[in-house]
Amino acid sequence: MLALAATSVAILSVMALALARALKADTVYDRILGVNMVGTKTALFIAIMGFLNGRPDFLDIAIVYALINFIGMIAVLRFFEYTASEPDEDTQEKSK
Amino acid sequence: MILEVISTILLILGAFFSLTGAIGLFRFPDFFTRVHAASVTDSIATILIITGLILRTDFDLVAVKLLFILIFLLLTSPTASHALAKSARHGGLLTLAEIRESKKGDND
Amino acid sequence: MYSKSLMDRKTIIYLTTWTLILAIFWLLLSGYFKPLLLGFGLVSVALVVLLIWRMDKTDKEPQQLSFSLRFFRYIVWLIGQVVLSSLEVTKLVWGSSKKLSPATAKLPVTDIPEHSRVLYANSITMTPGTLSVDIDDDYVTVHALDEKSIKSLQQGEMASKIAKATGEKN
Repeated sequence: MLALAATSVAILSVMALALARALKADTVYDRILGVNMVGTKTALFIAIMGFLNGRPDFLDIAIVYALINFIGMIAVLRFFEYTASEPDEDTQEKSK
Repeated sequence: MILEVISTILLILGAFFSLTGAIGLFRFPDFFTRVHAASVTDSIATILIITGLILRTDFDLVAVKLLFILIFLLLTSPTASHALAKSARHGGLLTLAEIRESKKGDND
Repeated sequence: MYSKSLMDRKTIIYLTTWTLILAIFWLLLSGYFKPLLLGFGLVSVALVVLLIWRMDKTDKEPQQLSFSLRFFRYIVWLIGQVVLSSLEVTKLVWGSSKKLSPATAKLPVTDIPEHSRVLYANSITMTPGTLSVDIDDDYVTVHALDEKSIKSLQQGEMASKIAKATGEKN
């Protein structure tokens, strides 16, 4: 039980760090990286919470959360890929 | 009893690797290296924590559901990282080596 | 083309496999055996199988579910690789950041069968320390934290294992 509590606290602090990274970032991609990390850790956190409370039905919520997180990530990335400003000529050269 | 000890070890190791990834998010110098730090938490920490949780079940439907979560997270998180890196690349973000190269070009 | 017969034998086997997999998936996730919920399950399984059938009529991708013993052996090997490279990245995170030598390289994928290239790119991304940035018909662009991991990818152990794991049984 103690291990579960310790792990959930660790995951919560990881989420806090990732959120801090997302808030204090240089580029929009860094922000998305942080937010994605918060999302996957939330799915794990919900699963651990279910065990901590002795209610394994929380796992269904974790599955749904993981699904929605993935689809949301892809949607946000699509949006930024198509609305990002056109890169300069020379950077395009390099990315080939 | 033994299972619980193994599960405790796995959970603590998973928590350690999660923290490592989160610290890497701050310590690594550019975006592409930070993706690597995040992928540590996505792959090994997920495997360790979910395996640790599976060892605490009675190996029934709950264990199968945990296995589904594990498989799903392992399938999607590399896909998400790849999509992120790809859109960063197409958005014109340069890697550290390329930035160094272009600076060298400016000095010449 | 398809008007000759509605479904040939291969398609029927393929769709039956999917029906079984989806039915088992539903039962495992729900765990209830009430008539109403079983009915909902039946409807959604039928809907998904119908969608699979219609999608396969439009695209020309090969119909196959390749879950062989070799594939599982590959997964076990991959998890071993994930553990090893995670330890490497952990060392880099806690060590001094001057040791970092990020590198990019283009690896040829023409040797790998077309339907397992996605698996290849996904495996590269799943192992921490290497990240597939872009993939096209001939090359996959890989970004690595360490030049060593690019070299070990260039030796092609993972590529040959994938080709073996998903290739035709011979």
